[in-house]
Amino acid sequence: MDVLEACGLVKTYGRQRALDGLTLSVAAGEIVGLVGRNGAGKTTFVEVVAGLTRPEAGRVLVRGVDALARPRAARALTGIAPQETALYPAATVAEHLRLFGALAGLRGTALRRAVDDIAERMDLAGSAGKPAGLLSGGQRKRTQAATALIAERPLLLLDEPTVGADPATRARLLAVVADRAAAGAAIVYTTHYLPELAELGATVAVASAGRIIARGTLGDLSLDKVNALIAAPCSGQALQDPGAEDGHGAHAA
Amino acid sequence: MALMLPDAGPRVTALVRHNTTLMLREPGPVISRLIQPLVLITLMHPLYAAALAGQGAQAGTIQVVTGMLVMFSLLALSVVGGGIMSERSWRTWDRLRATQARAAELLAAKAAPALGLLIALQAELIAFGVVAFGLRVSDPALLAAAMASWAIALLGLGTMLGAMLRSQSELNVSYDIGGLLFSALGGALIPPGELPGWARAIAPASPGYWAMGALRSALRGQATATLRDAAVLTAVAVVACALAAWRMSRTSPRSRLL
Repeated sequence: MDVLEACGLVKTYGRQRALDGLTLSVAAGEIVGLVGRNGAGKTTFVEVVAGLTRPEAGRVLVRGVDALARPRAARALTGIAPQETALYPAATVAEHLRLFGALAGLRGTALRRAVDDIAERMDLAGSAGKPAGLLSGGQRKRTQAATALIAERPLLLLDEPTVGADPATRARLLAVVADRAAAGAAIVYTTHYLPELAELGATVAVASAGRIIARGTLGDLSLDKVNALIAAPCSGQALQDPGAEDGHGAHAA
Repeated sequence: MALMLPDAGPRVTALVRHNTTLMLREPGPVISRLIQPLVLITLMHPLYAAALAGQGAQAGTIQVVTGMLVMFSLLALSVVGGGIMSERSWRTWDRLRATQARAAELLAAKAAPALGLLIALQAELIAFGVVAFGLRVSDPALLAAAMASWAIALLGLGTMLGAMLRSQSELNVSYDIGGLLFSALGGALIPPGELPGWARAIAPASPGYWAMGALRSALRGQATATLRDAAVLTAVAVVACALAAWRMSRTSPRSRLL
């Protein structure tokens, strides 16, 4: 069974239709690289799945839980790292990890172990006592991602987690993401960096004008083809693939 | 009630601890709200005592202590609303909303340290009045009820403003002007009987009016008047909290509120 099943999502902001019937499914252990131009609907999709934004139409199931009808139950299954860094300047790295670990339901020894583990894996152990306001850009990125990864969730939503990150930060993050997928997590990974998807062994879903216009492996689509799809202006209609309607769809038209 | 659900306890505890840490890491506003009224009460007590001598020996002391209490607790709203506004500007509010915590849990945990501050501020000023100027407290339980109702009204108002307004500067303007206006209309600076007629007519629109009434009545041991005014303050709190919860549950990263 797919961990994430999103079907026919429609979301408008004023006169702008951010999602226009977007359909996407992600299976356990699968990393889906959601790519597309700015404004293609990637972040809105993540916000809808995370329960931060309510769509006008469509359905979201997380492990069979209706995320629109039972958002808290769906959030219990979801970890999210939003696109924009959201940290408390005066709180330390360790305090961030403890807070989000506790909010994810970890307690006592399990919480302490999870904090230590994710801090170690994200190379944050040495800066655990540092306030977020004093962290470098890379450390901030890793802290943000660590708050999403501290609890092992069946679904991870990582919205451009490596933007502005240095190579070491990127490598750390990709390694943890790959491990989580290997452990069975379904991962939605939005990015503009296609080589990262190749490194992760991710399948690719190309978003344009609020819809998925192509879906497949990088082997199927090739980096050049994906780049061409992303670059094509208003490609939603020209490249709409009927096969993509089931969310797994068969690649670009 | 949602907060009574067993799974909420550890989350709220973690959030309260976190919010208290944040407040204590930036202690400037808290310290200034605690120190400034002591200075003003000390300097202004002789003036009020002389002006209200005809209304009884305690009248001036009650007026200056309750007046400064109401005014500075209104100004302390900036600590409450500022906390909410900071969450929005740091974009951490949406990060919290993406967790299992309910909007009511997030707001309650945000409010708890601020409630502590508001109670501490009121207790400090009353204690100062008792020790330094011989303020008499006829019924401590009644006074506690008046202080509690004022504190939750303030929390509601501060949270509502933090949730509704769009920027820190709007918030600052609201607190500075609103705090002074509500204090003055409520009779915190000038006894209500001395206000111009038009001001007396609109004074009940100020929560400060009901706070002054509740505190004055409580200090004099007048139970009925205290409880009536406390009930009005509680109603203000309920309406303000409901509006804040509704607003905060609808905040979206794309709503571009900031």
